Amino acid sequence: MINLLFFGRLGDFATQVPPTIEASTPAEIRQLLTADFPDLARELQQPQVLVSVNKMIVGWDQPLFDGSEVAFLPPVTGG
Amino acid sequence: MSTELSHDQFMRYSRHLLMDDIGEAGQQKLSQARVLIVGLGGLGCPVALYLAAAGVGQLSLCDPDHVELSNLQRQILYTDTDCGEHKVKCAERELSALNPHISISSYSSEISEELIDNQDIVVDCTDNLAARQLINSRCHNNKIGFVSASALGWEGQLMAFDFPAHSTLCLNCIIDKNSPEPMQNCSNSGVVGPVLGAMGSLQATTVIRMLLGYFQQHGEMQRYDGKAGRWLALAAKAKSDCLVCGEAG
Repeated sequence: MINLLFFGRLGDFATQVPPTIEASTPAEIRQLLTADFPDLARELQQPQVLVSVNKMIVGWDQPLFDGSEVAFLPPVTGG
Repeated sequence: MSTELSHDQFMRYSRHLLMDDIGEAGQQKLSQARVLIVGLGGLGCPVALYLAAAGVGQLSLCDPDHVELSNLQRQILYTDTDCGEHKVKCAERELSALNPHISISSYSSEISEELIDNQDIVVDCTDNLAARQLINSRCHNNKIGFVSASALGWEGQLMAFDFPAHSTLCLNCIIDKNSPEPMQNCSNSGVVGPVLGAMGSLQATTVIRMLLGYFQQHGEMQRYDGKAGRWLALAAKAKSDCLVCGEAG
């Protein structure tokens, strides 16, 4: 199972999302969430959303393994 | 600028001088440093205040904007009577009053590549990707330290790059320069003032770490969620096809 973390304001869209999921890439997680959590999936489609696996920033096609922690990070641009 | 600390400077920096890992040698490094702060908004104000107070010897300030009433909720260098004035001029006045021993240069203009040259570190306190990418590219090419932060709502993000010591892994490896600006920004979505203070303080701390030789984590990223009270430390990898630092750069 893959452990999920929706950081910051993404967490506001993910209160009903189970904490774990079966998936092989972060992109697949995003796809799996589309049907049940369309608002969250839309947020994840925004440009500059970052994804990390085990605290390393990676691409959306990064292979996942049992026990991986995948974190989704919304863009932060103001100053 | 004198290389010896005066009596007044000994008193002013006594809390640094008491620390074995700063001391007089560290204070001298700070006094000889050249740091450019780009953007004197919610991040740039605390960065400038802490670096001026710490005795960073040559501070340069760059921001084309004027102080507006809506800035005063978070931009802590300015007061009500500053509205309409150039931010960098108000900031220079306040920072000179805080620490008259340092040199301050101000530029009420957009950032240019020429301003970045001859700095030891550039602190990115801007609010847009285009400026961040320009600074990243120039700092990478000229081996200048780069400390970038941003904030939105309750959240903050910091990234820091030790380009004098590392030629691969840069901002563009993490956020592609061709990606569009996100729809949400502070002007249309808001921001909590102390979140900017937290991230600006972290930027200033990172600058001091770099200047004193204690920065070891090239490309480190810190994320802060002020509403949840949570920090997340992340690392990143260089992209071989990066247009700035990769083989194609």
